[in-house]
Amino acid sequence: MKKKLSLKVLLLGVLVVFVGIILAESLIIKVKTTSLKKEPVFYSDTVAVLNNGEQVEKIGEQQGWYKVRTQKGQEGWLHSSAVQEKKFFLFAMNKQVKSQASAEEVALAGKGFNKQVEEKYKANNPSLSFVVVDRMLKLKVTPRQLKSFLEKGKLGEFGGGQ
Amino acid sequence: MRAGKYLKWVICFTVAALFFAGCAAVQEKLGSLKITKSDADAIVKTTKALRKSFSEITEEEEYYIGRAVAALILSKYKVYQNSKLTAYVNQVGNAVTVYSDRPETFAGYHFLILDSSEVNALAAPGGFVFVTKGLLKRCKNEEMLGCILAHEVGHVSAKHGLQSIKKSRLIDAFKVIGQEVGKKYGPQELAQLTEVFENVLGDIAEKLIERGYDRKYEYEADRLGIRFAAKTGYAPGGLLDFLKTMSDEAGEGSDKGWYKTHPAPQDRLKRAEKELGKLNTIPSIQKVRTTRFNQATRTLK
Repeated sequence: MKKKLSLKVLLLGVLVVFVGIILAESLIIKVKTTSLKKEPVFYSDTVAVLNNGEQVEKIGEQQGWYKVRTQKGQEGWLHSSAVQEKKFFLFAMNKQVKSQASAEEVALAGKGFNKQVEEKYKANNPSLSFVVVDRMLKLKVTPRQLKSFLEKGKLGEFGGGQ
Repeated sequence: MRAGKYLKWVICFTVAALFFAGCAAVQEKLGSLKITKSDADAIVKTTKALRKSFSEITEEEEYYIGRAVAALILSKYKVYQNSKLTAYVNQVGNAVTVYSDRPETFAGYHFLILDSSEVNALAAPGGFVFVTKGLLKRCKNEEMLGCILAHEVGHVSAKHGLQSIKKSRLIDAFKVIGQEVGKKYGPQELAQLTEVFENVLGDIAEKLIERGYDRKYEYEADRLGIRFAAKTGYAPGGLLDFLKTMSDEAGEGSDKGWYKTHPAPQDRLKRAEKELGKLNTIPSIQKVRTTRFNQATRTLK
């Protein structure tokens, strides 16, 4: 009796793990680059830098943050605003599809309004300068600077933040 | 009997395992094609018009739209050269973004000071945020600046710029885009798409720079700004203090910049006060922040 029960438990266990693997949720990085964080806060140390289009596996969730595993096996936290969910369809069928692009593919292929369109727009509007825009993009606040700023100003977790 | 029961369990398990393995195999096959069932459905819809709303604009496209809108803003205003103050404004801005609904955009949030005595703040899609020197001079403490930047982050977070784009533009764009994937545009396609791009920028610039966003978006940005500021730890009353300052000054250059593009401060004040009442806890002004604000803005001329 005991042996039969343990066999059932074992079989069920294997099935649960199996389904778990299949249903594991994939996330795609939708921003240019993002930092995989050690802890679910922006000023935490960076475990790895991930690029647009890279896929990661979601293994946990906490207040707007996803715990993920990268394809290289690194684990850490990503904010939900940096990723989009790649849905798994259990009953997906291999239908014949036309060669047009879906919104997701457009994003992955970098089509739509892209660098090529910007170059053409620049050529049409030579008086517009993107030099300052590029300089503006270099204005960054490092995680360490952010932490120090929040800490000294008694902000966020260091003060009156909700 | 016992053997039968045992066999039943093994069969059940095997069937289930084979079922899921089959699904996985199908998914893997589709995965290698980079097409899922949803993609297939979306592709079928594409022939009609996939991009019906602004929400179909990708993060990367929003970034390119934002870059061009920023370039348009910078063609009207000069940049105020003060690296220390610019760094401080970026720190206040980034503090607010991390407690907002949308901390990450395609290329992040960046804040720049415009060399103008006019009072104005502008947020281009994707997180290019501008404040004028005139506006900074009206701020008395970090709370006021934090609340104004939180309002601007609210515009980016709720994608108010993208919502200003006429729907017809998106359909025009997708007629060009919805062809083959993975190749560069030919000259004709590129010319068509660039024309759509210019029209998109025109839609946004008209609202953002010339006429101002719809009132409902300004009120929404106030609501979001108050929430983001309070979550960061800033006294959200900073927004009310700023609006009171602007209300008192109404009349002086009230046909320009901020006055031209924003609803009357009195109208916003009433709504903002209501929002404040909804917060569970209201952070208070901290002397340490006012001190560093005074230090940072000391060089402001």
